[in-house]
Amino acid sequence: MRDFERPKAAFFSFTSCEGCQLAILSCEEALPEILKRIEVVNFREAMSERSDDYKIAFIEGSVSTEEEIARVTKIRERADFVVALGACATTGGLNCLKNRFPMDDVKRIVYGKDAGQIETVPARPIDSVIKVDYRLHGCPISGKEFLAFFADLVMGRSPRTPNYPVCVDCKMAGNICVFEKGMYCVGPVTRAGCDAICVTYGSVCWGCRGYVDDPNVNAHRETLKRYGLTAKGVAQKLDLYGGKKQ
Amino acid sequence: MEENAQYLYITDRGFKALVKGLLKERRVYGTVRKDGFPAFKEISGAEEIELVQTPTHLSAKEFLFPQREVLLKFDIKDNTHEAVVEAGDQAIIGLHPCDIRAIGLMDRVFSCGAQDVNYLARRGRTILIGSDCMPDRYCFCKSLGDTDVDSGFDIFLHRLKTGFIARTGTEVGADLIRKFAGPRMPSPRELTELEGLRTRREGSFTATLEAPPEALPGIYAMSDESPVWERIGSICYGCGSCNNVCPTCYCFDVRDEVRANLNDGERVRTWDGCTLDDFARVSGGHDFRKTRAARLKHRFNRKFRYLSGRFDSLFCVGCGRCSRACLVRINIAEVTNELIRESYKK
Repeated sequence: MRDFERPKAAFFSFTSCEGCQLAILSCEEALPEILKRIEVVNFREAMSERSDDYKIAFIEGSVSTEEEIARVTKIRERADFVVALGACATTGGLNCLKNRFPMDDVKRIVYGKDAGQIETVPARPIDSVIKVDYRLHGCPISGKEFLAFFADLVMGRSPRTPNYPVCVDCKMAGNICVFEKGMYCVGPVTRAGCDAICVTYGSVCWGCRGYVDDPNVNAHRETLKRYGLTAKGVAQKLDLYGGKKQ
Repeated sequence: MEENAQYLYITDRGFKALVKGLLKERRVYGTVRKDGFPAFKEISGAEEIELVQTPTHLSAKEFLFPQREVLLKFDIKDNTHEAVVEAGDQAIIGLHPCDIRAIGLMDRVFSCGAQDVNYLARRGRTILIGSDCMPDRYCFCKSLGDTDVDSGFDIFLHRLKTGFIARTGTEVGADLIRKFAGPRMPSPRELTELEGLRTRREGSFTATLEAPPEALPGIYAMSDESPVWERIGSICYGCGSCNNVCPTCYCFDVRDEVRANLNDGERVRTWDGCTLDDFARVSGGHDFRKTRAARLKHRFNRKFRYLSGRFDSLFCVGCGRCSRACLVRINIAEVTNELIRESYKK
């Protein structure tokens, strides 16, 4: 492999738990290899140094304040390539649950008498503010997918985003369908790539990766009703992860 | 019953000894209940096996054609590569007649033209042991010809109230029975019990096709413009479950995966499915089967028409797994019957 100047990369946290960045830091064996290929200049969760000179920006979290809107716009101006990391960044994630209420109510419920000091706007995925070049889905992202994406990015191959529903990953894992087990899930319309980890360990798919490109949401609404969910239950199932289902 | 000589009786203890004998020399997969539903699983003791009579939700194809397998390992810096064939001695216990017929079709697919060494190496080291079934409301193998198999297995077991009638299909199977299971000739009473079981099974099918199997390729050939495709396409998810549970769907994708050191990598084969959105998308973004209706039509035709020309056989074995797995209740027998009825009107 010929020598080349390592591109500078930066990691940023917006409204999120920073769990996706932790998923990257957990790829411990691969980290030395990654650092041979990119120079990390900004990563709040992993280092003290800060620089605003970078080509690749990894952004975790949704945008939920005016300040964040300004900050994400600035990052876009500086970076050549922006990667949305995880459900909050790609779909808005769980943070969008608050969008069901007026913002004043949300502030009061969470912060009580200090509500007046809080500034907030409805949560949204970062691509509702800036252009995003690539999305790594999931809550949290999968380390395995990050490493595959990293190799593609540095080698100049087009990274591939899975565009098939979780049912595929479930069948690959040999799972019994959760509907057979008397539970409900949104796997049939949700983007896979997660190895159906939630179902494999006895839970259901909550839809953290958002919809596939062409989901048959009407069909799924009918299925959920046929298996006994009310219209309200159906809406709650389908809308848990974010208003925008990339 | 002229073929009495092929039939042997083994006790329950003989069956356990057979499984134990197999476990000493190979991996053994058997039918169990998983979350209460029939499934194949690797077992480590004979007591784990339950010879379930209704079909497993997933077929046994994964043991011959895994969901994911490495075909090649490569090293970019050294510019070297090495072909990989992952195959070991194994046995599958509890295959129903439809499963055995499906494996026979897969054998033909993977040995047609360029031999698929990965599949064939694995298949050559696999012992197939069949067992009796009872149809559920999705099974329709009876409408496709035989409900039983005479070959394609090493051993076939018919469960009696006590013990089994064992049929052997290969020398390997006959040797295993002799070596481990302590067989004897069945008594007339045991053979009568077997006949009773077969009669009961024959009479238990509820799903049936309304045309004989040899008419189906022609009926499908007339159905390209049928409104059925749009109707089922509108409710289909494109989730690929029908492909993945099908014992004869063999499509796959091959990708090169490079590790983070950007040097070592593997060429990996994974299952693919023709009902998935990206299946027919090619370079430049062109997609020659854009709609779910078009993709479903393709899958049904693969089972009843397209492959029958090449292999002189239908590629549906009537196991009903796709209907059973479909959350929007697209039922392969019902769809086929609709097309049959439409063809009568033409």
